[in-house]
Amino acid sequence: MEKVPKLTKKDFKELEEEMARNKRQRMEFIDLYAKWLKKTPNKVWSRQQAKYLDK
Amino acid sequence: MELKYDSGKIIFNRGLSNLDKLVIKFTKILAGEKIDYVIISGYIAILFGRSRHTEDVDIFIQELPFEKFVHFWNALEESGFECINSSNPKDAYYDFLKEMLAIRFAEKGTIIPNFEIKFPKTKYNIYSMKNKVEVFISSETLMTSEIELQIAFKLYLGSEKDFEDARHLYKVFKGNLNIGLLQKHISELKVEKKAEKVLWKKFLN
Repeated sequence: MEKVPKLTKKDFKELEEEMARNKRQRMEFIDLYAKWLKKTPNKVWSRQQAKYLDK
Repeated sequence: MELKYDSGKIIFNRGLSNLDKLVIKFTKILAGEKIDYVIISGYIAILFGRSRHTEDVDIFIQELPFEKFVHFWNALEESGFECINSSNPKDAYYDFLKEMLAIRFAEKGTIIPNFEIKFPKTKYNIYSMKNKVEVFISSETLMTSEIELQIAFKLYLGSEKDFEDARHLYKVFKGNLNIGLLQKHISELKVEKKAEKVLWKKFLN
């Protein structure tokens, strides 16, 4: 069985930094997407949204 | 996105997803039974374009007498819905709704998505019922919670998904929102710090 890595304080700090980066990138995506929605005709974005939701 | 948001009304036309169609089917039954309702929470973000799924659609309905509730229950069953957490209207009414617990309805034979129905209890629940927004979507009508309250309440709920919904609604409705009202809700719910991080902060240049 493979050994589970032992995590040090530094590793936890890196994990926290990674989580913060991910959160920030999610928010960046929300902004990017909202910006796209605002300039895209309803017919176009709602078709894409339905395609995604109805999968 | 083309929409008009003015004095308690939002008017927009767009294509409908299967979830939208199901919500419209359910709320038509409510309207047919003359039951006052308001849709709250996650579906509102989806209604206005958010690209995520949801397991449930949260709805407050006016507190009803038992006889009227039975009529509503039967109307739902006739339209192909069933309650998934209670087997009869008496238990659903007295053990759930009257105890401020939610009952859930889904299309027969399915479990998601489902409609989570509750009577309003808290000050904010009652405020949502009194300050509804009428959404006209592609010749259909839905009653939703005020967008400003929805944004602030999502901050209060506080999960990552809630924060993303809050920012999405804020960004999509920016320019149409009553910022004074939004700030009042933020201040009442004591979520100023969250608003600072989630709404006002710039992520993209």
